[in-house]
Amino acid sequence: MGDIVVLLKAALNPEMVRSKPDGTLDQDAIPLKLSDIDRNAVEEAAKLKQKLGGKVIGIMVLTVGPMAKREKDLKMAVQEALAKGVDEAIVVADDRLTPGDQVQTAKIIAEVIRNSGINPSIILASEATIDETTGQIPGRVAAKLGLPYISFARSIEVADGKIIAERDLEEELEKVEAELPVVVSVTQEINQPRPPTLIQIRRAARKPQKRLGADDVKQAIGTKRVILERRIVTINRKQQIIEGSNLEEIADKLIEILEKEGVIKL
Amino acid sequence: MKALIVAEYTRDALEGIKAAKTLATGSTILLVFGPASTEAENLSGLVDKVYTLPSRNPEAVYNALRRVYEDEKPDLILGVVSKNVKDSLSRLAGAYDLPMSTEVLEASVEDGSVKYKRGILSERAYSIEKVPMPAIILFNPRIFEPEEARPGGEVVKLDEGDTKVKQIGISKKQLSGVKLEEAEIVVGVGRGFKKKEDLKLAFELAELLGGQVGGSRPIAADFKWLPEDAWIGISGKRISPKLYIAIGISGAPQHMSAVMGSKVIVAVNKDKNAPIFKQADYGVVADLYQFLPILIKKIRERKG
Repeated sequence: MGDIVVLLKAALNPEMVRSKPDGTLDQDAIPLKLSDIDRNAVEEAAKLKQKLGGKVIGIMVLTVGPMAKREKDLKMAVQEALAKGVDEAIVVADDRLTPGDQVQTAKIIAEVIRNSGINPSIILASEATIDETTGQIPGRVAAKLGLPYISFARSIEVADGKIIAERDLEEELEKVEAELPVVVSVTQEINQPRPPTLIQIRRAARKPQKRLGADDVKQAIGTKRVILERRIVTINRKQQIIEGSNLEEIADKLIEILEKEGVIKL
Repeated sequence: MKALIVAEYTRDALEGIKAAKTLATGSTILLVFGPASTEAENLSGLVDKVYTLPSRNPEAVYNALRRVYEDEKPDLILGVVSKNVKDSLSRLAGAYDLPMSTEVLEASVEDGSVKYKRGILSERAYSIEKVPMPAIILFNPRIFEPEEARPGGEVVKLDEGDTKVKQIGISKKQLSGVKLEEAEIVVGVGRGFKKKEDLKLAFELAELLGGQVGGSRPIAADFKWLPEDAWIGISGKRISPKLYIAIGISGAPQHMSAVMGSKVIVAVNKDKNAPIFKQADYGVVADLYQFLPILIKKIRERKG
């Protein structure tokens, strides 16, 4: 078995969205965390390694600065991946990178894989990240490396240099087969990530980490996407609790309100 | 300007053509694959040329897309989000370093660029971005009214090319067939329900109101008390009914952002501190097992 590569993201945490008084997004103040489905990708990598051997290499590209503010969150996200099964992490982070530009991110990942002596048998990624949620990076990376790509896998089986995967489509489950090496994007249904043990957490701190910056991935820089505006969505709900002396009265009030709103007709 | 529309489903092709005609004037080319490929002839009168590929293997679609991209040199590649469309276009984006955006809500074309708006951070925020063309824009479903199909144009057949990923089996999912995204009234069920049989209270309420039943992630995806297509959430269905009644749902962000388009939201929950009450228009703090039978009885009485 060659290397098992996992693509990781320290993503903006949607549960801790922050905004400025004028409603624009205060992106610098939003903390980062390891993107949710990345945990499933790491778990699947660890399972593959247990069965087939090989080394699990995590690649993380951070473009959303300011990096001075991000160091702590970045370290936590990398530690979490290392504790859960990644053997070695390569992190590319630099304020000179264009925030969130997917053309650039895919170029960086392909360049890192080509230039870091990695020999991938399988490249695992999540079907989408929690912040931008466009789900395009694994497909881009596959095309750049000229590898076959299996998207939306909700189960995989690897043996004898081959992979059999079940793809989760809108109305069907599609079973596909391919030879390694291959790029696979996984869904949250693929496994239940195990929490790391204390020993795993302690070992994580000693695992190798390589840090790269913009100068190491020069070829990849040259951006296309410009962010014009980001604002929070304001929820303007009435938030009215219907009170009454008993449930009968509350039910009557609710029905009357909904009829008045014109959303039910009895 | 030249637009290439890529679609796996006929309805998406019709919406995509509408999108192309709304965004810019110029020539339009359509590539239909998989299920939509059988309708190629019927759609051909709407565009300048239709390419058709029977396979829905995204690798075959990618092979075909590369050839069409080289031959036609489109400025804009448009479509409606579906999994195989996303898969094949993400590869094209990677091969040619094209900007790509998905789940787009609105877009406009100006001076060689395309500007678009999309939700980010679990729909808690939106982002307006600009990229130079050629670019790939995939809209959310139901943003554009579909065009009326019209035959009578040129159809070009494409072949699969060499594919390394082979299909070895396919099975239909167990689905309800209910189109929650089209329902005017939706009753949502969450973990407040203690067992599957109790969901009949929600079904009874939905039936009385002429609505449909959907569920949060634990109910539909984890416990599988409802078919997968009744799952309301960011990874499930996004709905925008006139009335959404959330019962026993706490209000997790992944669920709430999928129902944000509802005109009126009613929440029934026995925990007065449940976050859903802050995101609802009307709240009832009550045990659903006590409140629902009374509500159902009252509606029945009024209906007479």
